[in-house]
Amino acid sequence: MSLVRLKGGTIYDPTNGVNGERRDLTIRDGRIVDVAANTPVDHEYDATGMIVMAGGIDMHSHIGGGKTNLSRLLLPEDHRADPVRDAAYESVQDGAGRYLRLPSCGVCAPGTLATGYRYAEMGYTAAFEPAMMPSNARHTHLEMGDTPIIDHGAYVMLGNDELFLQMLAARHDFERLRDYVGWTIHASKALGVKVVNPGGISAFKFNQRSLNVDEQHKHYGITPREVLHTLSRALTELRVPHPLHVHASNLGVPGNIDSTIATMDAADGLPIHLTHIQFHSYGVEGPQKFSSGARHIAEAVNARPNVSIDVGQIIFGQTVTASGDTMMQFRNAPMARPHKWVVGDIECDAGCGVVPFRYREQSFVNALQWIIGLEIFLLVDDPWRVSMTTDHPNGGPFTSYPHLIRLLMDKSFRDEQIAKLHPEAQVASALPHLKREFSLYEIAIITRAGPARLLGLRDRGHLGEGAAADIAVYRDEPDRERMFTSPAYVFKDGELVARDGTLVATPTGGIHFVSPDFDRGIEKTLRAYSDANLANNFAHAAISDDEICNCCRGGRLLPVECFSNN
Amino acid sequence: MHLPPTDPSNTSPSGAANVPALSTTRDWTCPFCPLLCDDLVVNAHDDATLSVPDTDCPRLAGALTCYGASDAQCASSIDGQDANLDDALTHAARMLSNARRPLFGALATDVAGARALYTLAAGCGAILDHLHGDAMSAATLALQDRGSFFTTLSEVRSRADLLVFFGCQPSRRYPRFYARTLEGTEGARDLVFVGCEPDPAASAFAQARVEAILPDADPYHTLAQWSALSVGREPGALPDNGTGTSETLATLAALQARIAAARYTVFVYEPAALPGPHAALLIEALNRIVKTTNLTARAGCLALGGDDGALTVNQTVTWLSGLPLRTHVSKPGRLAGTAPLDHDPYRYRTSRLLAEGEVDALLWVASFGPHAWPASLNPAVPAVVLGHPALAEAARSRGAATVFIPVATPGIDSGGHLFRVDSSVVMPLAAARGAALPSVEAIATQLAARLHAPDARPAVQEQP
Repeated sequence: MSLVRLKGGTIYDPTNGVNGERRDLTIRDGRIVDVAANTPVDHEYDATGMIVMAGGIDMHSHIGGGKTNLSRLLLPEDHRADPVRDAAYESVQDGAGRYLRLPSCGVCAPGTLATGYRYAEMGYTAAFEPAMMPSNARHTHLEMGDTPIIDHGAYVMLGNDELFLQMLAARHDFERLRDYVGWTIHASKALGVKVVNPGGISAFKFNQRSLNVDEQHKHYGITPREVLHTLSRALTELRVPHPLHVHASNLGVPGNIDSTIATMDAADGLPIHLTHIQFHSYGVEGPQKFSSGARHIAEAVNARPNVSIDVGQIIFGQTVTASGDTMMQFRNAPMARPHKWVVGDIECDAGCGVVPFRYREQSFVNALQWIIGLEIFLLVDDPWRVSMTTDHPNGGPFTSYPHLIRLLMDKSFRDEQIAKLHPEAQVASALPHLKREFSLYEIAIITRAGPARLLGLRDRGHLGEGAAADIAVYRDEPDRERMFTSPAYVFKDGELVARDGTLVATPTGGIHFVSPDFDRGIEKTLRAYSDANLANNFAHAAISDDEICNCCRGGRLLPVECFSNN
Repeated sequence: MHLPPTDPSNTSPSGAANVPALSTTRDWTCPFCPLLCDDLVVNAHDDATLSVPDTDCPRLAGALTCYGASDAQCASSIDGQDANLDDALTHAARMLSNARRPLFGALATDVAGARALYTLAAGCGAILDHLHGDAMSAATLALQDRGSFFTTLSEVRSRADLLVFFGCQPSRRYPRFYARTLEGTEGARDLVFVGCEPDPAASAFAQARVEAILPDADPYHTLAQWSALSVGREPGALPDNGTGTSETLATLAALQARIAAARYTVFVYEPAALPGPHAALLIEALNRIVKTTNLTARAGCLALGGDDGALTVNQTVTWLSGLPLRTHVSKPGRLAGTAPLDHDPYRYRTSRLLAEGEVDALLWVASFGPHAWPASLNPAVPAVVLGHPALAEAARSRGAATVFIPVATPGIDSGGHLFRVDSSVVMPLAAARGAALPSVEAIATQLAARLHAPDARPAVQEQP
């Protein structure tokens, strides 16, 4: 029952309205507690002059599952290019004399061990896999379980699985579809539901090459709008905190502004989250018929309080795009750099596409993509509805977050980067005129408080009494990139895990998942479908609690409550 | 799940008729080939044998003959003498601690085993290679160079109207391939065997129309010609390699036309069955043809392989480290400036390492069957064998510098997880018998904990 004090830090805790107050924090048993000011403590950390926030939460990062591992397999050169750290970094030992770190490498597609170590060193305490297929759920949980320190969870993909589309086309009762959604969340131990190119991954299996929001799937006749509407309604009725997480139709297609806004409206006012919206914000103006739609999109988001987004900022350099959107990944494959790629159709469920990509400052299109992401951040008014992501690794590796934070906080730094871009992109953009600079309070919202709220994590993302003691303490430096790269202290559930950017402990993270109520009678339908169409025995479809503990290496189960009946 | 004994009239493979079932497990997943058939009923008998009465699979039947009453009593051994587990662990840990360049070979285990072995490998600076490293390597090289276009078993079952088998007859190695992909469905399927005779098991399915084309053709020539045709080269424009070329080209062009008109074509191949040391080129060509096909029609590849945990361990090591098998995992104390992980599919081949005497210890993991280490292993090289009980005798005979520890087979005596052949689905395993043998995971974890025990000699600075 030891009591630990973090003394004299400057707290940014937007959930509790704390904006730069100098205060002590006290931790007991992994939780933040309120004690009298002069209570004796067992250990004290001096945070004078330092900035204190809750640990970072990455609500959209491809950290586990088939496509993530395919990215690793595809790019051994990425792993060989990972710079060798010095011996001091690698030889850190724990109290028992065992090496803390196991070897793990990779820049844009790091091993799970490297992923956990690097997130923690950067002050992040949770990351979420956004595209878990039901048929690949065990694999996803195994990889997340092998990602040390950070808590994790995943959103399960629906809306391209043949059964859902069949039921929708056959006009099954909405309640049956809702129960199917509830069952899928339960069976895959998911935290939410994702839809990728609604109906489009399936349509591609039927040799359809594009699918707009109100266009019919050539086999099932349903439209993406119907898929979106049904799924968002189902999640609302199931009272799942996280809204439908949507990778919209027409990713990467110039002119997709309209379909993105149509996607927002398909939810009919119900909560909906549009992910990596940068890729869905392209106009067709100008000589290259490619322009920024950021203003349109930001205005649409500002006008729709039911819509939340994450940006999916691109970062210049070599990366790999790993996505469930087979239709678009196949379409983009000719642009692969290096020129190799993987696409697959998976289990009447979904699919995946892995296409390496190099974003270059001197490419007009890439430069504009970079600009668009930043414009969106700067033009959306409510930071509670914007999460900071690079859609790791699709826009860039998550290790770029400190660089991205600096771009958002420091206009002169932003201007320096703009000057390096393709000259036509510089003039095509409103970005040089956007003077907004994010404050530390706003950064705390878009990197921790906001994501926690969007996911329904009541005791994370903030520093109020009773919160889990996931804390990041940064030395206040004018160079915000440096500041956010190596926090002075990182605590996970009250345990110090990193100091000055290097690990001191590697506990196992927990798994967040949600358990909505649903009618188990739906299993009859699922079993019949499985027997007729799949190569699996339905008896093994669901992952039990025991099994999930096994997959997660004994990490704690962190069930997230559904909304109460109000 | 286990049920109480029911019908006493089941026959066990040991020939003991009418041995009553001690327990019956339904919905059992078989671990012995990567199809991971998950709809089986397995009986465990009083005499510790097992039987699967309702399923006709020679591979499963053969694997089950290796299990019997002596398994649970199998002792560990040190240098040919029986030893208790604790002593065997200490001795083995010392052997690994003293090695400067150990090889972890075979690696026939499940996810849990692979996880624990990775930690152990990092603790002693080991090279990792699998029993089926050559076939896996061909597939990995093709993927690393060019990628792939794949499909999975349920897609085959529900969607494929045309299946093209390149140089393989799946039922030889994967007897229930057609049962898993075609059985219980309606609709006609065309099965075309290219570069080999038709698989006899294929004809057993009423709705399958089976044929063979170019059964004797050289696979490299065939794929070169087929690649050219698939991108639209005219047969007449291609070089004449001698007699029959124009016929061959016409045959391939006709096949490609059928593929273009099909609803969904699946290309099936077995990396281990592809001839020559350059199988990776054939794999690359097949995937290239499929990728080109997908510009206008729909198709995917299904690679059959990854037996004995190969696929599983490759996936696990890749996600943990970033790199696949045939990788050397180094300790922090290695030479400065060298990388902690060195992946080299040519250098880190078991047969080459043993033949050249480049390793000074071997950890051999064989939990699915009594696969013995290569005969080329130098008798003086210390060997730690984590093996199926049926390997105990061979380990004892090796004599000096050998530690043997019997381990459980996942799916027989322990639970576990394995990747299915199409690498998207991970199957949970349940123990059909549950004899008290430790898992590879448990042993590897113990070894890692004992690696730097006080009585081990201190680690020496390694050469890369």
